[in-house]
Order: sequence, then structure tokens, then C-alpha cells
Amino acid sequence: MNRPDTTAVPPLGGAAHPTGTPDGHGLGGSGDTAVRVSGDTAVRVSGLTVRHRRTTALDGVDLDFGLGVHGLLGPNGAGKTSLVRVLATVARPTAGCVELLGGDLRGHRERVTVRRELGYLPQDFGYYPGFTVREFVAYVAWLKELPGAETDAAVERAVTRVGLADRIDAKVKTLSGGMIRRVGIAQAIVNDPRLLLLDEPTAGLDPEQRVEFRALLRELGRTATVIVSTHLVEDVAAACTEVTLLEAGRVAYRGTPGSLAALGADGHESDGNAIERGYTTALRGHRAATGAGR
Amino acid sequence: MNTGPNGRRTSRPARPAPGHRLRRLALYARSRAVPATVAALVCAALLTVWMASRQDTYLDPYRRVPLVALAPLLAAAATGASLHTHSPELDGTSVRRWWPRRLAHLLIVGALAATLLALAVPGHVQEFGAAAMVRNTLGAIGITAGGAVLVGARLSWMPTTLYFSAVYLSASSPRVNNATVVGWLMQPGPQHGAWAAALALFVTGTALCAARGARPEGPRV
Repeated sequence: MNRPDTTAVPPLGGAAHPTGTPDGHGLGGSGDTAVRVSGDTAVRVSGLTVRHRRTTALDGVDLDFGLGVHGLLGPNGAGKTSLVRVLATVARPTAGCVELLGGDLRGHRERVTVRRELGYLPQDFGYYPGFTVREFVAYVAWLKELPGAETDAAVERAVTRVGLADRIDAKVKTLSGGMIRRVGIAQAIVNDPRLLLLDEPTAGLDPEQRVEFRALLRELGRTATVIVSTHLVEDVAAACTEVTLLEAGRVAYRGTPGSLAALGADGHESDGNAIERGYTTALRGHRAATGAGR
Repeated sequence: MNTGPNGRRTSRPARPAPGHRLRRLALYARSRAVPATVAALVCAALLTVWMASRQDTYLDPYRRVPLVALAPLLAAAATGASLHTHSPELDGTSVRRWWPRRLAHLLIVGALAATLLALAVPGHVQEFGAAAMVRNTLGAIGITAGGAVLVGARLSWMPTTLYFSAVYLSASSPRVNNATVVGWLMQPGPQHGAWAAALALFVTGTALCAARGARPEGPRV
């Protein structure tokens, strides 16, 4: 397995980053400088439709994601979580084709192969209150069929990367909300996934932890396809190489964080920063084009 | 090692060492609150022993009817609660197939419950004794397992309670009392129709739950 260098980025919640933090650049900084590797498409969906009873969560979406960190933005109900759940192989699409890591998800064998290389942090990942951090991450390693001999080291590595090494034997229920979220991130990376899906990963993290988490994201994005669903545009600006904006189950905008920020430069909005203005401009432009009002 | 769909080598493990296997088994058992379930089954058995130790209960088999209805109900409720998972989303991304684990879980817990309760009830086996207790325990667990698929693990005791209450309260009616299939849980012991009904419920409920799993609970986007 391709194991990233764990010393490259300090752990979340660990020692303060030296001056010139990776998070120190401005809006769209990483998006402008990072190179999107399009030759290694890990995720390809075409005509993806997801319906929940009478509601259409995704409406014929075509997308592809390669190596790097991809931000999924959009208002509530835009279809972000539905897309992430389909990619996580938890939900089945109503229609359309999903190809992950070169395998079609329709067969059980392909699904199992993909799951072995998949990391997933749901919005509510539902920890076991009686488990320690070590036990919970080991449980997920067991779900991923990590070899028993490698499990202990993989668990400790994942927990160290999220800055919880000193709490590894603490019960999960005794941790704060932000720490529990970091446990969730640890379980998602325990198998060094090639495809990492994170749904609202920074919810509950304090500003310092978010800065460190973005650095971890950038590091993970060097060797894996990372898809981050979030409401926080500043996370996207600082950590993502590409941004996809969903609205009412459709793709409203795709580009780099820098190009999204540039959209807002000419707008009349005075509130918020450049990428927030770009987000608003792209969303309104899409609504105007499709005739959808709010 | 296996080869993935993209030709990359993936880390499918060889058979784990016994120590690793035991630790993983223990993790699975704790994730499903199996220790608490076993404790609840032991408590149900002790309660049965205590209630059955009264002389009138020992001598009059019909005084054991509440016991052979209530104890299986408690055992089934404990078994149903153990089908709950706190992390259905993460379990949904498991490489492992769940149905063999769910099947083994229900069979082992069901066997343990039936054995403990059968040992706890005194008297002649054919008059609301061990046979009726085993039959009712299996039937109750079957209904509860099916209920977990329909309403979720934490509410899976409800269908069983409703059914048991309905049959128990209408037991004075000759139609229910003589109907060995519908009123199976009120039969003294060896009636074939009652056993067939209870076993059918156990097999159906267990198979359904093993195949589908308990219905996920909580908010779903």
C-alpha cells in the first residue's frame, strides 16, 4: 500500500505549526497553485440520479474526480451528502453509472474491492460509546479487512495523524465534540485510502484544528482522491484543488477555488470574502440560467 | 494479496492469527452489546428461577403460564437490542459480508437464551416446562428479529410485546386457546402445530434479519 509520509504534516491538535504554515496563503491559494492530475480519474459518474421518495436529490449528474482535494459546496439539500453516500457505496443510485478506482459498482466483487481502498467520514458516523479511540479505529480497520498484523500500527498512525495520540486509550464518549470528529477522521484514513470521502469534516473543530486539518487534507490529496463536502467555503479555498458547486441536484459550477473567487470580484455584493462572493454569484447565475428561484 | 479492478495490488489479508481473530470477535461482540445482552439473559433466567420457586407454581403447571410468556419476551427484547449498530453508515462500507455474522449472532444468542430459560423453569417438561419455554423463546426471537427489520432494533420488542399481549389476554377465549397455531405460546408443550408456528417464525425472522439487517435508525439525509 502506498503510505504517505506521516511526518510531513504535524498532527491535528499537536504542536503549533512553524512560521509559514501551509494554511497561510490567501483565498484560492492552493487552488491556483496545485496541479490537477486529470490522467488518473478515480471517480467517474454519469447520469447519476438519486431519488428519495418524491424528492430528487441528484438529477442526472456527470462528474469526474482525479488525484487531489475536491471541495463539494452547495446550500442545504443541494445533493452533496447524497452524492457522497453513493460514492461511499452506502446508497444505491436510482439511475446512472458510477465508476470508482476503475471498477464499476454494480458487481459485489467490484464494490468490495473499492471498499478496501475507500475511507469515509459520514456526517454522523455513530461511534460506540464503550469503545476507546484505539478500539473504535481498530473496529473500522476490521471492517476494511486490514491484515491483523498491520492493524495496531495502522491504528496508531491514523490516530497520531489527527493529533489524538495522547488520548488513544480514552473512551470516545469522554472526548469533546471536536476530538470525536478527529476520531472520525482517523477511522477514515486508517486504511490509507486511495479515495477519501469526508462529509462536513470540520464541523466542531476549533480554528486551530481546522488550519491543521486543512494541512492534513493537502497532504492526503497528494496520494489520494479526497472529496470534501462542506458548507465552509474558506476550507475549500485553503485546501482544495478543485471546487464543485451543487444546487438542487445539479452541478452549478466547477473550477478552481481561485476561479470561483474571481467570479465574485465583479459582483455587487460587499459582504463576505472573495470566495463567498464568488459562491453567491455562481449560485445565483445558475438559478437565473435554470429559472430556479428560492 | 489480490489484484484490484485497476490492476493495483490490494491488501486482502491471509487468515488472521488466532489472537487477532479473538480480538476482532471481541470488538464485534462489544459493538453489538453482546456482554450486556448475555447479562440480561442471565437476569431473565434468574428472575424465572425466583418466580418459579414458589410452591404453588411448582405444583400447578398453569401458574407457570405467565412465566413461559414473560421470560421469552424479556429474552427476545434483549436479543433485539443487540441487533442495533451505532454506525450503520460505516458498517455499510464494510468489505465483509454482514449476513453470516448476523445469522451467527442470532443463532448463538437464541441458543443461549433458550438454554438458560429452559434450565430455569421447573416442573414436567410437557406442562409449561422446558419445552414450552424453548418454543416460546425461539418464536419470540423470530418475531423480534423480523421486527428489527421493519421498525429498527431499538423498537423491535414492540411487535413481540403486542403479539404476546394479544394472545395472552385472549387466552381465556376457547378459540384462541384451542388454536395451536395462532395461540402457540399458550400451549402446554408438545403440540405439533404450536412448535411448527414458533419454528416458522424463528426461521423466517432470523433469515430476514440476517439477509437485510435491522432497519437503520436516526436521521437520514
